[in-house]
Amino acid sequence: MAVIKTNDLTYTYPGATKPSIEKVSLTINKGDFVILTGPSGCGKTTLCRCFNGLVPHFYNGKLEGTLTVAGLDVAEHQIYELARHVGLVFQNPENQLFALSVEKDVAFGLENFAMPREEMRKRVEWALKMAGISELAERPPHELSGGQQQRVAIASVLAMQPDIMILDEPTSFLDPLGAEKIFEVINDLNKKLGITTILVEHRLDLAAKYANHVIVMDNGKVALTGSPREIFSSEEARLIGVGIPKATKLYQHLKKNGVELKSVPVTTEEAANLLREVLKNA
Amino acid sequence: MSVFEGFKFRKVSSVVHNLDPRVKFFFVLVLFVMAVLFTNFLALLVLFLVPLPFVFVAKVNRQWLRSLRGAALLAIFIFATNFIFGYFYPTSLSGITQPVDTLFEYVVLLERSVAMTLRFVVLISSFSVFFLTTSPDHLGLALQQSHVPYEFCFAFTTAVRFVPVLADEAQTIMDAQKARGLELERGNLFKRVRNYIPILIPLIVNAIRRSLELAESMESRAWGASKKRTNLYELKLKRADYVLVVISVLMLICAVYVWLFVPVPSLTTLLSL
Ligand SMILES: Nc1ncnc2c1ncn2[C@@H]1O[C@H](COP(=O)(O)OP(=O)(O)OP(=O)(O)O)[C@@H](O)[C@H]1O
Ligand SMILES: [Mg+2]
Repeated sequence: MAVIKTNDLTYTYPGATKPSIEKVSLTINKGDFVILTGPSGCGKTTLCRCFNGLVPHFYNGKLEGTLTVAGLDVAEHQIYELARHVGLVFQNPENQLFALSVEKDVAFGLENFAMPREEMRKRVEWALKMAGISELAERPPHELSGGQQQRVAIASVLAMQPDIMILDEPTSFLDPLGAEKIFEVINDLNKKLGITTILVEHRLDLAAKYANHVIVMDNGKVALTGSPREIFSSEEARLIGVGIPKATKLYQHLKKNGVELKSVPVTTEEAANLLREVLKNA
Repeated sequence: MSVFEGFKFRKVSSVVHNLDPRVKFFFVLVLFVMAVLFTNFLALLVLFLVPLPFVFVAKVNRQWLRSLRGAALLAIFIFATNFIFGYFYPTSLSGITQPVDTLFEYVVLLERSVAMTLRFVVLISSFSVFFLTTSPDHLGLALQQSHVPYEFCFAFTTAVRFVPVLADEAQTIMDAQKARGLELERGNLFKRVRNYIPILIPLIVNAIRRSLELAESMESRAWGASKKRTNLYELKLKRADYVLVVISVLMLICAVYVWLFVPVPSLTTLLSL
């Protein structure tokens, strides 16, 4: 079942001469884990802003085509209405946390919904637990590490129990280990709670294994869309400059040199297993 | 950076910190009113002693001393003006007549000037106890529950939260510009002020970018979804708060009674007996 559906979506920022996204037609299904990738400036962030109504309501500008998110026409509904269904986690953890304690930050959205205090308490505790940061509840967010801050940001979106969670390069300020932890939290939420996840990411080595759908954008357009294996092994992805996982690259090299693995690996473990099989047969 | 140190509120817990900020503010106001009522040295000395237990219970003595030290210059100024004006325009009320010549008259004048200075110190001290023991979070909450519009309270807590961030940023920019050869401490006053432009511009640009991101994040989390927001925290008066209210009211009643009916002797007359 489609939870996000766009048709010929084109958007131009106010004052810009050319559209930042152009004729984007996409379908994202309920429960999907989508990776959205592509070269810098290709319009990934802009597309994310469309999904929760920041575009066009916050940025103004010209939006053409149709966009339905969780059954709502984005052009017709305010950002706060969409916020019940879509949560957006931003790149810089520092600028999306503004309260003086973690729990207060996590409660921010619920306070806006005028949720009664008792229920809000429970919801905040639940969100903190899901993000694995229960023990940070009373700490000031600005004194936490980048990884912890990003998990607070995730919890603060999760508290609103959205159907869709969008994360725009949530790990670009983090080291690889911190990044992996974030991916695991996100993956848990996707698999256990069935939250549709859209992850904008360059470092596919770490993230690719969680996804079941990859969208590659280039120059404001959707260049490729499909399963991770299809996309990563395609020639086009390489030409666009997608950060193809090393395991998939290894597959391509071997293939060029006459060694065919049985399927396309995305993770190192998969590649190892496939290689072992080839070696056994040799 | 020491200027900004004061803004970094550490989460501390003590009986005084946990008091309701509204009650604490009431207490400070009562002190304020009393300090204005009295011009007598002994009375003001008592008023100075009243908030001291709070300082020690909350363990903020170091910061408290620092704020008093900060006010020292102004205190000296107040003392000097009182003394000089008292010398040239003695009033019959204070028991000294022109010209001020006897030792007794000098001592009276001195006591009066010290009392006026002490009044100022009492004000500074009690306000600093309030601000040193009240977290910005609590203060924002108190504002909100006093029906100050939420936007204002939000702006207040956000400002408090971002002051240390901006201070850090200013330091980084300063270091970066110095590394590129900017000399801050060169030239006359005008030039020195101008030297700060390459620091201010990136700081302002960054602050604007930051506020845009902040606004985006708030919007995404349903800012403005309902007319009447709820709040995770709620200030509730506890027993200690009621005790402090009672103490404050009693103090005020006593003070007014003394002011009306009991002439407090001055130190000079007391000693010369
Ligand atoms: N607020 C804005 N106003 C005007 N133009 C913008 C704005 N934000 C982005 N753009 C333009 O829109 C285009 C797409 O930008 P976008 O931020 O969506 O790219 P991106 O894929 O997220 O890049 P990155 O990987 O660097 O984050 C760029 O050409 C950019 O200059
Ligand atoms: Mg981006």
